[in-house]
Amino acid sequence: MDFATLAPFLVGVVISGLVLGFVYAIIALGYTMVYGVLQLINFAHSEVFVTGAVVGFEIFRVLNGVEMNGYLKLLLALIAAMVASGLLNILIERLAYRPLRNAPRLVPLITAIGVSLILQDLIRIIEGFQGRFDLTYQLPTGFSTPFCGPESSCAGVGKFLGGIGISLQIKEVIVVLVALVSLAALNYLVNFTKLGRAIRAVAQDRVTAGLMGIDANGIISLTFLIGGALGGISGVLFGLKFGTVNAYSGFDPGIVAFTAAVLGGIGSIPGAVLGGLVLGVIQNLIGVTNILGGALNIANLGVIDSSYQRIGAFLVLVLILIFKPTGLLGRSNVEKV
Amino acid sequence: MTAISNRASARPAPSSTILSIKGLTKIFGGLTAVNSVDLEIPRQSIVSVIGPNGAGKTTFFNMITGIYEPSSGSVDLDGVSLLGLRPDQVTSAGIARTFQNIRLFASMDSQENVMVGRHSRLKAGYIDSLLRTKRFHESEKEAEDVANLMLEFVGLSRFRHELATNLPYGDQRKLEIARALATSPKLVLLDEPAAGMNPRETEELKSLIRRIRDDLGVTVCLIEHDMRLVMTLSEYITVLDYGSKIAEGLPHEVRNNPKVMEAYLGRGAAAGEYGKEEQLKGGANA
Amino acid sequence: MTAIRPGSQPPVAAPDRSVALIVLAVISSALLLISQESSWLARLPSALANFLKNPLVASLVLTFFLANLLFAYRWKASLWAKLLVGGLSLFLILPWAGRDNTSVLDLAIQIGIFAALSLGLNIVVGLAGLLDLGYIAFFAVGAYTWGIFGSGQIGKVLTYFKDNSANNGPVVAVGGLVLLIVTALSLRAINRVGGKRTPVASWAFLLAALGLVIGVTLLVRGLVMLAAANAAGLTSGVNPNFFWLFLILAIAAAASVGVLIGLPVLKLKGDYLAIITLGLGEVIRVLANNLSTYTNGSQGITPIGSASVPWFNSLAGAIGFTPDQYSLFFLYFVVLIIIAVIILANMRLDRSKIGRAWIAIREDEIAAQAMGVPLVQTKLIAFATGASFAGIMGVIFAAKQGFISPESFILNQSISVLSMVVLGGLGSIPGVILGAAVVTILNISLLPSLGEATASLNLPPQVNPAQLQRLVFGGILVAMMLFRPEGLLPSVRQRRMMHEDDDPSGNMTPQDSLAGELKPENAAEVYSPGVATRADNERGGGTQ
Repeated sequence: MDFATLAPFLVGVVISGLVLGFVYAIIALGYTMVYGVLQLINFAHSEVFVTGAVVGFEIFRVLNGVEMNGYLKLLLALIAAMVASGLLNILIERLAYRPLRNAPRLVPLITAIGVSLILQDLIRIIEGFQGRFDLTYQLPTGFSTPFCGPESSCAGVGKFLGGIGISLQIKEVIVVLVALVSLAALNYLVNFTKLGRAIRAVAQDRVTAGLMGIDANGIISLTFLIGGALGGISGVLFGLKFGTVNAYSGFDPGIVAFTAAVLGGIGSIPGAVLGGLVLGVIQNLIGVTNILGGALNIANLGVIDSSYQRIGAFLVLVLILIFKPTGLLGRSNVEKV
Repeated sequence: MTAISNRASARPAPSSTILSIKGLTKIFGGLTAVNSVDLEIPRQSIVSVIGPNGAGKTTFFNMITGIYEPSSGSVDLDGVSLLGLRPDQVTSAGIARTFQNIRLFASMDSQENVMVGRHSRLKAGYIDSLLRTKRFHESEKEAEDVANLMLEFVGLSRFRHELATNLPYGDQRKLEIARALATSPKLVLLDEPAAGMNPRETEELKSLIRRIRDDLGVTVCLIEHDMRLVMTLSEYITVLDYGSKIAEGLPHEVRNNPKVMEAYLGRGAAAGEYGKEEQLKGGANA
Repeated sequence: MTAIRPGSQPPVAAPDRSVALIVLAVISSALLLISQESSWLARLPSALANFLKNPLVASLVLTFFLANLLFAYRWKASLWAKLLVGGLSLFLILPWAGRDNTSVLDLAIQIGIFAALSLGLNIVVGLAGLLDLGYIAFFAVGAYTWGIFGSGQIGKVLTYFKDNSANNGPVVAVGGLVLLIVTALSLRAINRVGGKRTPVASWAFLLAALGLVIGVTLLVRGLVMLAAANAAGLTSGVNPNFFWLFLILAIAAAASVGVLIGLPVLKLKGDYLAIITLGLGEVIRVLANNLSTYTNGSQGITPIGSASVPWFNSLAGAIGFTPDQYSLFFLYFVVLIIIAVIILANMRLDRSKIGRAWIAIREDEIAAQAMGVPLVQTKLIAFATGASFAGIMGVIFAAKQGFISPESFILNQSISVLSMVVLGGLGSIPGVILGAAVVTILNISLLPSLGEATASLNLPPQVNPAQLQRLVFGGILVAMMLFRPEGLLPSVRQRRMMHEDDDPSGNMTPQDSLAGELKPENAAEVYSPGVATRADNERGGGTQ
């Protein structure tokens, strides 16, 4: 493959990696926000996010025959998913984490794993009663059409992308736009509102925040609500991007998104976004190396194919953490002696 | 006390200075926490480092003990450089310390806490522990004996099997001292040993520190805010302010040094009419 | 399990229960034997026989029987009664029941394997306080160590290299060796630059480490090429008697991987360490999946041999085992011995300088280091020790299953072992063994049998209990953590910490301690609860 064909090909890979990265970023935000206030790896977040995806699927399914603007359907799906996932997340916190606020750290971690297992089966059972397991999104027509592919003639970014042979589908553009809007909203909420200030205060020091008149438990619930709502959004985006979800499909993206959150510096909101984007691009790059020819066959490592995608993410994480032990944008945590 | 003396501290003294610090500097980002401080600690002396809050005293200790790496300068213990050593290696070399914010091992009893202090001096290793060799039993006995001896030395024998965290606060500080002494140090650094102690406990501490030097032959360097303790105990005092050494000398010299009073009390107050010692004391405790 | 000091923790005022213990043991043994022995079942009234044959009932009987071992350990009873019950149960009744139903032996071995894994992870997480979510990788290393050599796979590997490589084995091997030596030397040189600190976070170090890995790889590859000529002789693996050697090799291999993984990451703390160990565990699994030349990829390796000792086989034959059961019967006793050794090692390490250093690190890294405990070295020892337990049991697992594939070493397994440790009681040797037993029985015996037992009810597949393993297991995890967070059998240390408020020492009065009045923040720090290290709590942003 010569450079003239390789370069646009790689640009295309990076761009579709960024689309994937935005999905990871929104999932990662759910992890990182909860971690910020409770220092808990919320293992159940992957199921919170699947719940969002399932609710999104249901909305699209119910509205499938209905004569309605596709974007309105999407909006309804997003809102429903946000509400469902947000409330579920609050419920989880109340029942499973709050009683353990002062327990050793491993205890809520195990609880989170337990909740995750329970939710996996619950989702499977609920959908199973309707005879479904793999849920294939029934998208409004037009979502899957190319957004300025090579053959279409449009101006601006689309023309540029088309010119270098990249075809994005409408739904992928939607993924990016929804992610960007969510990020902007979250950024506004956390950095420019009173509630956001309260969240940041609780994240820094729950006890002192309480002494300053902040209802720490309320803020923690709010954080779970926001984290869950982000999980709901990311679930629908995941459904849009990949088309199919099932009860167990939260696991892989959950792990990658958590890795992204750690990579960016767990607890840091911009870090989670950066981590998600980086991992999205890296995974996509690894995924296409076999197209480029398995050059890395030193010790018969087999073909470097997509199964290396996840460990690629981990190896990047190891490298970065060796040099920056608290992630790319994490607060350096020098313990006071 | 021969039981706890190790090869290092039994060696004849090569010079009268045990710890020699030259130009020690620590810069955090743009902030110079400790600025080119020199200090010579005479063997078997009791010296103090004082200074207002934030003067860089603890940072200074942290550099000596290897927790922070100095930005520049040198630290020599008995003529051997400690630069680049990890904290555990510094301890093996012969410097032990206590902490300003007590750092005892919460789930261990007093005896076990002190036994951990013996870690670096025990000869038994992993294989010995697995196979329960003679060396293992000797080491365990040594650790236990030293621990008991040290607990007795600081007067905590009765708490031997009490969880460290159940001890009264003042005794927790003494337990930290016992733990530090169990490492058989040549020099022990005490970071605010009297903080949180009542006057009676402080008096006990004073005699304990004297006995560390007199009975164990261990040099003592302390950071302390209790001026009465510092003035009566120290043979030599170094004063830090904003990371720099502003004065040093015998207690009465430091007490009467206008720069020191200024550092503690501000320029205006230093010129006042009150009894100077009382001012210094009051200012330090404020 | 007899190696646990019987009677070391009798409830204080409990009555002597020797008689009850023996009666229960007799009843449960009789039930177990009857329910497993088809010839005896046949003589029972058919209603009763059918009841006992019900998978759920059979599973409960087995659980009841195994619970006897727990009673023997926990109850206040005379030593001989404990030893009698424990010894007979483990050495007579269980193998006997296993003769007619090998799944009993299989379960017992599986419990043994997971108990060893839990004990290993307990050292890492419970004692040293290092959260490792990729622990199963060491188990995989052990399993593949024997899996490759104990099966025809090694023959396939050699044949592959015989057919596919030019005759340059010596060149590759020597090249690997040279690279290895050069990088090892440069590692030493790097280590000396700038005093004695090990600059893990430097490109030079990483390059050297990469060189080391490539060197080892080339060396191995070269050696394999050199040995390729012998491919024909190894089509069914090495001589099974090498099993014993491979037990040792697996320990070494797993411990080395532990050190290799630990070295770059052990300076990370808390959850950073957790996610990175999780990641490296996945790396090992994906390598097992993709290095198909060596591991046969996702299809896995089978059949894997197992050692056989002639006199033991004839013993097994004499007491009525069929030849195809010999290996299981034999492995059962091997597991018992290994478990006993592991428990002994665990107890000895716990009560030694090393154990104290681990706990010191868990409680407060900075103070531990200031007291002369070398952090990296001590953590690496914990990692390597934990890994070696997993490694040796990996060999047993491979030999028992006769089949291994990457599927056996997924992240869920690591999480499962972690839940055994926490469920049983962090840091507590009897606790984690119990945790392993409970979770294993639940997952392998009780829940599946629940599914079988209810198969006749024609429940919709969605609510078939056999399909609800995650739900039930998750529910148990959550309930346990909510109602008994210290675990089933908490360690002595933990119990003391939890109950320190109940039983204040007479010398401790509030007046004596000025902690609360003068420096509340310090007091809060010292009184930090639970097993979390104080550093953890501090990072917790004031969770105390």
